[in-house]
Amino acid sequence: MVNMVDETTAAKGSKRLVANPAGGTHQEAPAQEELGLLALSEVQAFYGGFRAVNNVSLQLQPRAVTALIGPSGCGKSTLLRTINRMHETLPGATVSGSITLDGVDLYANEVDAVRVRRVIGMVFQKPNPFPTMSIYENVAAGLRLLGKTSKSEVEGVVEASLRRAALWDEVKDKLKQPGTSLSGGQQQRLCIARAIAVQPRVLLMDEPCSALDPVATLKIEELIRELAADYTIVIVTHNMQQASRVSDSTAFFSMDEQRAGYLVETGPTTTIFTSPKEALTESYVAGRFG
Amino acid sequence: MNVREALLQPGAHDRRRARTDTLMLRIFQVTAFLAVLPLFALVFYVTLRAIPWLGPSLLFHNPLDKEPGILNAIVGSLQMTGLAILITGPIGVAGGVYLSEFAPKRVASIGEFVIDIMLGIPSIVAGIFAFLVLVPLLGFSGWAGSAALSVLTLPIVMRTTQEVMRLVPPSIREASLALGVPVWRTTLYVTVRTALPGVLTGLVLAASRGLGETAPLLMTAHGTNAENFLDFGTTMNAMPIVIYQYANAADDRSIGQAWATALVLMALALALNVLVRWRTVNSRVA
Repeated sequence: MVNMVDETTAAKGSKRLVANPAGGTHQEAPAQEELGLLALSEVQAFYGGFRAVNNVSLQLQPRAVTALIGPSGCGKSTLLRTINRMHETLPGATVSGSITLDGVDLYANEVDAVRVRRVIGMVFQKPNPFPTMSIYENVAAGLRLLGKTSKSEVEGVVEASLRRAALWDEVKDKLKQPGTSLSGGQQQRLCIARAIAVQPRVLLMDEPCSALDPVATLKIEELIRELAADYTIVIVTHNMQQASRVSDSTAFFSMDEQRAGYLVETGPTTTIFTSPKEALTESYVAGRFG
Repeated sequence: MNVREALLQPGAHDRRRARTDTLMLRIFQVTAFLAVLPLFALVFYVTLRAIPWLGPSLLFHNPLDKEPGILNAIVGSLQMTGLAILITGPIGVAGGVYLSEFAPKRVASIGEFVIDIMLGIPSIVAGIFAFLVLVPLLGFSGWAGSAALSVLTLPIVMRTTQEVMRLVPPSIREASLALGVPVWRTTLYVTVRTALPGVLTGLVLAASRGLGETAPLLMTAHGTNAENFLDFGTTMNAMPIVIYQYANAADDRSIGQAWATALVLMALALALNVLVRWRTVNSRVA
């Protein structure tokens, strides 16, 4: 974990991850409660020698939903996976730049990727409940696999998480059935319950509705709006209507000549969809390409 | 040609095609039947010859008892196969997990190649190795027999483990890692857990292979007429050895016992395979 960037593959100008220059200990606002503000600064992501994300600087606000939109292959998912350090689990994948959560550099030497992922939960494109586990065990998985075994405590968290994910009423009588026995939309809400059961501060969602039908999609979108009251939510989506429905801010990405994704512009969702600064953004949100 | 003509007036070509269809179907049916015929003939004939000799006295007495039986061979076979699986199970599963989850591509492909070679080792080769290397050290004994069986079962366990671990979708591992679960716990409690039915299948397949091995046991455990419960230090009996020795005898009783032992062995192997089927069907991963 020490050397995140392979010197031979790192493009010129990319640098080793260093502690946030502002100091990892937010001395500016000592009394302020930690909220879950994500700040990306000059983030680049590589697959071996291929640069998939180029120089993205972006702030993701707490208690709000930020949508990452853009054409296929522009690095939105890759960028998302750098935030909880899942990107580096792929062979040859590296990151440069800095990502801080409430001022703490997530890539600092003393920060373990495993800890980052407990604070930053993730929901994937295809619902992926653990196939060997029941509905109950799926939600409890995070706690159990992390060694928490007090039965009553786990029970409480499971119920609270399922309620929070708007799934409790549908599953409370069949908690022992396999997680995979649920419908696609229910499975995705189960995965959301599983993610929030470990009490993260941030929720990353990688096209969480792309495998779901419109009704299930609507439910997930409602849920995302509700969860926005407590979490920093970042959602990658191909569906511009979805972005306009669920998000407070939108970041639009595109691809440069070397097929590396870069940030075109970001702003309040209404602004991006009605009066974007860049012509490229306008033609994308108008559906003229992508 | 209008549609009516095109659809309703079959020509010679259509009739020939229909005949060819039927002919091919028959050929496939006959060959399929021929393929399973020897199997059923074998099972039927073994059962037929074994039944008259099969009974409690055969199953529950040793060769030197007043009513001679094959108890020590059944016990010996189960013991040596069991010990072999106890040895190869942990090593093979761990090795398979390593190859599938952690080994660099290069190492994994070399490992696979080596395992494939090991899978192809004729059992008599394992036998001569055990005879010339292990027997001088351990003597003709259950230990040597188990060791020889281990050599033959290890690659089976390792290979099946690796294969079934690969079948676990990467999204399942990611789900666990993204929850902040460390890699080792993810591997143990999520990936291996998901692949477990397949891993157990590999163990049972290895056991059924071990049960039927003859050559390496003849050269290591050697066979005995004495009771040999947990007596690994000296010669040990096994069902394949009994079948081989009794089938070569001149008297009807010995030959009958060979048939009966063959039936018992077959039934055990079959039971193991049914067990595997039942387990995998009942815990099918989506």
